[in-house]
Amino acid sequence: MNPIQIPLLIPVTFLFASLLTPLAGLLGRSWAHLVSLAGAVFVFFLSLKGLGAALAEGPLRYYVSGWLPPMGIEFVLDPLAGFLEVIITGMTVLVLIYARKSVEIENPDKAVPFYTLTMLLMTGLSGMVITGDLFNLYVFLEISALAGYALLAIGGKRAPFSAFRYLTLGTLGAGFYLMGLVFLFMTTGTLNMADMSRMLPLVNGSFTVTTGLILIILGAGLKMGLFPLHTWLPDAYTNASSAATSLIAPVGTKVAAYIMIRMLIISGFPPLIELLTWVAAAGIIAASILAIAQSDIKRMLAYSSVANIGYIALGITLANPLAFIGAMLHILNHALMKAVLFFAAGGIFIKMGTRDIFQLRGLPKKMPFTAGAMLIAVFSMVGIPPTGGFFSKIYLIFGAIEAGTWFFVAVILISTLLNFVYFFRVIQTSFFKPYENGGTTDDDVKYESMEMDEMSPGMLVPTLIISVVIILVGLFNGAIVDKVITPGHPWFSG
Amino acid sequence: MRIIGLLIVIAFGSLLRYGVFFFPEWGDPASPPSLHVSPHYIEEAIAETAVPNLVTAVLADYRGYDTMFETTVIFAAGLACFMLLRVLQRQVPECRLYRHIPTGITLRIEKGGKLPTESGSFERIDSNWVPHDLIIKSTSRFITPFLQIFALYVIAHGHHSPGGGFQGGVILGAAVIMYAISYDLRRSIQRIGEQATAVLGSAGVLIYAGTGALCMVLGAAFLDYGALAGLLGVDPVMARSHGMLIVEIGVGIAVSAVMVWIYYNLSSAGRHDEGL
Repeated sequence: MNPIQIPLLIPVTFLFASLLTPLAGLLGRSWAHLVSLAGAVFVFFLSLKGLGAALAEGPLRYYVSGWLPPMGIEFVLDPLAGFLEVIITGMTVLVLIYARKSVEIENPDKAVPFYTLTMLLMTGLSGMVITGDLFNLYVFLEISALAGYALLAIGGKRAPFSAFRYLTLGTLGAGFYLMGLVFLFMTTGTLNMADMSRMLPLVNGSFTVTTGLILIILGAGLKMGLFPLHTWLPDAYTNASSAATSLIAPVGTKVAAYIMIRMLIISGFPPLIELLTWVAAAGIIAASILAIAQSDIKRMLAYSSVANIGYIALGITLANPLAFIGAMLHILNHALMKAVLFFAAGGIFIKMGTRDIFQLRGLPKKMPFTAGAMLIAVFSMVGIPPTGGFFSKIYLIFGAIEAGTWFFVAVILISTLLNFVYFFRVIQTSFFKPYENGGTTDDDVKYESMEMDEMSPGMLVPTLIISVVIILVGLFNGAIVDKVITPGHPWFSG
Repeated sequence: MRIIGLLIVIAFGSLLRYGVFFFPEWGDPASPPSLHVSPHYIEEAIAETAVPNLVTAVLADYRGYDTMFETTVIFAAGLACFMLLRVLQRQVPECRLYRHIPTGITLRIEKGGKLPTESGSFERIDSNWVPHDLIIKSTSRFITPFLQIFALYVIAHGHHSPGGGFQGGVILGAAVIMYAISYDLRRSIQRIGEQATAVLGSAGVLIYAGTGALCMVLGAAFLDYGALAGLLGVDPVMARSHGMLIVEIGVGIAVSAVMVWIYYNLSSAGRHDEGL
């Protein structure tokens, strides 16, 4: 296959998979699963190949309909987009493996639409990453948003309500993006990203452009759940089914963060972003404190997502190479560790029947492998070497030092402490709660009668794979940074 | 809290107002949007695509890729409604109403009672009792064929005059919905079943994406209709016009089917039994 076609094939393969999945569903649920999984695996290999080609030969460009930009729509797979694409498609493959059993338990009736909507969601997300056209990005945003609302609305009793809130705020975010785009179009007359970034310096200082950028960043901020615009996120993630949460939580908000990165690169990092750095720092601290207050494990993880989005936003807006590397590495790390934690939370809910972190006693006895995987993810979350999370935080701290902003260094260190507090509660209850042989309380009796009852292999294997990858990312972070992230860097690729 | 909200709204509103202040004059030929890309579309559209309606040329050719995914958005919306609303477990309703056609007497049959046989002399009516409505039924029977023909015209003529797949598809879907409203939902579902709407919805998108893929198989870029020239037996420029017609038909099928699908789910709260 010609590598030049890869940028096009990535979203289009997902689209065809989403059309074929319902047809396969007529034969049976497992066929629908198989078709969607095959589609995701194929795109994952395409993304790997595309990333390799982009690193070797520079950005791959594809002109849809044969019209050259700015007349037509252009697809660009540069190392940055390839990196994101590999993360999101790789996660999808693993989540789909996990989802089979999880969907079978949680809502078997709607399995076929679930897989179809998953494919549509991925059409949107992968397209947003790879497109070189600002309006095309909006269209993909719509697809992924619609599929996301529907996926998150199935689950607990309150899921439709929280999904409706997400729908209102998410639509507002998309609306802001579109309105901001109108402002930019009015001053530049183009929709192509590369063309736009050439035009914007010519109209430098135009207030219309500033307004447009504010609107777009606000829209992206709403979509990525950046504090204080995060209010939809905890409810939506908590109430949705675990398959849907573990699909959307690791990748959904990252792609919105990627929109923000792209917009800042296009607009040449306007001075506006210094304000955003403060917002991000406030978000890290506030969301970490809110996470401590939660007793529902999924809700705690959701708040931790808000805090981690804060790290990514902080890294982007510090606008120097080291912080940027930290942000990109954190996108990868956070996707991995959040997936493990949500996978584990889903498995624990099925096997132990609780999401209360104070009732996790006996977790290592009952589900030793899940507990082990969770431990690795928690270590990465807090930032203990040699897990990946340590290195992304180190880069962020170095970035903050380079920017000369010691305050943000303190923010990162304090938030690490807060991370430690809220994750340590989980570890403490499940691993170290004191136990005396022959205890008489109900809790002790329950603990004694516990037997090993692991998640089914289909759910366990992806969890273990990702936790191994977390350590691998930590060990080989130098290679990832040098070979993949640095070439995709706005200051080095020019 | 309210005051903070009000302040944010005022600050934001004035930001927008101030931003709009520097917009170019309405219709100003020297403004950036009308200098950069638009002149190419206006001057070259007919020469490059043989389509007199240049809105369609931009929508279905220059930016045809956007429109393909807009169609996918419609399909996703139908699927989302299905996912959220459809009740797949069969529930027996509390009571059912039947009308004895020759006498006009209404029967109310409680849960567990014996239902009338399919003899043709009974018809089931919605439980929020519906009287005979001769005027509505006759009018809708009279209008429906015209509506459908008009819909086909709008779809087929989209690249010559205002219209296109989205508009035509909505009109075509409205014809079916009108049938469902003026008679009842069950009768409409008998004619066009749920599975048919879902399959047609995805088939419409498949026609669009398949056309694009076919162009790619023939060696050109995705959705580069010029590649279809050999198959259609016309020159490459005319092939673009024909290609647009093909994808507009796909859009029309998808939009009309999804309209009906959404209506079925919304009006009956996903039960596909009674509604409106």
